[in-house]
Amino acid sequence: MNRNYFFLTALMLLLAIGTMFLSKSEQQKQIEPDKLLWEIIQPTRYVSTDEVAKLIIQNDPSIELIDVRTPKEFAEFSLPNAINIPLDSIVTTSSLEYFGIPGMNVIFFSNDAIQADQGWVMTKRLGFDATYVMKGGLNRWIETIIQPTEPKETAPQTEFDIYQFRKGAQIYFTGAKVETTTNAKKNKVVIKRRKKTVTASGGC
Amino acid sequence: MGPLIPNGFITGDWDFVIAILLGIAFGFILEASGFSSSRNLAGVFYGYNFVVLRVFFTAMIVAMVGLLYFDYFGWLDLSKIFILPTFVWPMIVGGVIMGLGFIVGGFCPGTSFTAIAIGKLDGLVFTIGLYIGIFIFTESFPLFSDFYTSGDMGNPTLMDVTGISAPWIAFAFTFIALAVFWITMLIEKRVRKTTTAYKF
Repeated sequence: MNRNYFFLTALMLLLAIGTMFLSKSEQQKQIEPDKLLWEIIQPTRYVSTDEVAKLIIQNDPSIELIDVRTPKEFAEFSLPNAINIPLDSIVTTSSLEYFGIPGMNVIFFSNDAIQADQGWVMTKRLGFDATYVMKGGLNRWIETIIQPTEPKETAPQTEFDIYQFRKGAQIYFTGAKVETTTNAKKNKVVIKRRKKTVTASGGC
Repeated sequence: MGPLIPNGFITGDWDFVIAILLGIAFGFILEASGFSSSRNLAGVFYGYNFVVLRVFFTAMIVAMVGLLYFDYFGWLDLSKIFILPTFVWPMIVGGVIMGLGFIVGGFCPGTSFTAIAIGKLDGLVFTIGLYIGIFIFTESFPLFSDFYTSGDMGNPTLMDVTGISAPWIAFAFTFIALAVFWITMLIEKRVRKTTTAYKF
């Protein structure tokens, strides 16, 4: 009997046993690069701060606000009902449970949109749908919702409508007092009295 | 990286070029393994020559284990490869017919062509019969077209059906194949004592 057969048999057995130690678990399944690029350039992946404010005020049960900043920053200030998942712990099994829930729309936010974008890309690469980024992040949130600036007098009506909404949202989120919107001076109501007509008295 | 065509490395137009190259390689290996001889091929059914079993089992386990390594190294994405759809009943019947034809004719379709390539008459006759069979099948196809697509299971793999992970299946097949190699070698030795030598 050929001695080579022994070597070949042993080699094949070794290789077959070796396959059991090939762990694939380290590599997460990813979507195709071209699909990711296509998703990245879609403007629909952003939601504006106004839309987020509206959803929060309406108590929309389908939104899931994810704060990707550090727990310290999260403790200082965040959006109501937001969940804190720091960027470095997004791809952990306990965090991944928050994504891919049917019917839920995940909205990422951070101070600016950069960290939130990174979180968005991570979850998108893992194949989760219905994830969004709050455009401009919390900085924009402060500018628009917490401290809205009044548009110029010449601005179109729509801007005034947005401003009105933002003022309302400001009241909702900060508890600011209602300001009277008209600054015009109160006109003193002048009561004009008719002069008593002098009736002819006496005579005859 | 792979599979090359689905990942867009090369276009689908290369199908035929690859098919020709693979076909040449396949034919060469068949001929080199002695598969152009019907005596060699039929020997597996009579116990005096198990070369068919050895060659195909070797090809299978090498491919099986090799693909698992390829997948691990990222050279080939196993989730993207084509898996032949399974039609249970027609496949069983087809397998029985194929096996019968193999014993009676001494060739399977591929090996009959290698036999022609080296100028064997029996291979030529077998191939003529093959085409007559294809013609009869094609003409009578409407009679059993329902049966042809019955028992459709989609594209399941052994992992899907049994729930066992790929490395274990690969190991089991490798172990069985290697055991069979040694057992058939012993059978051959015993049977060949009683048979006279034959020409390839």
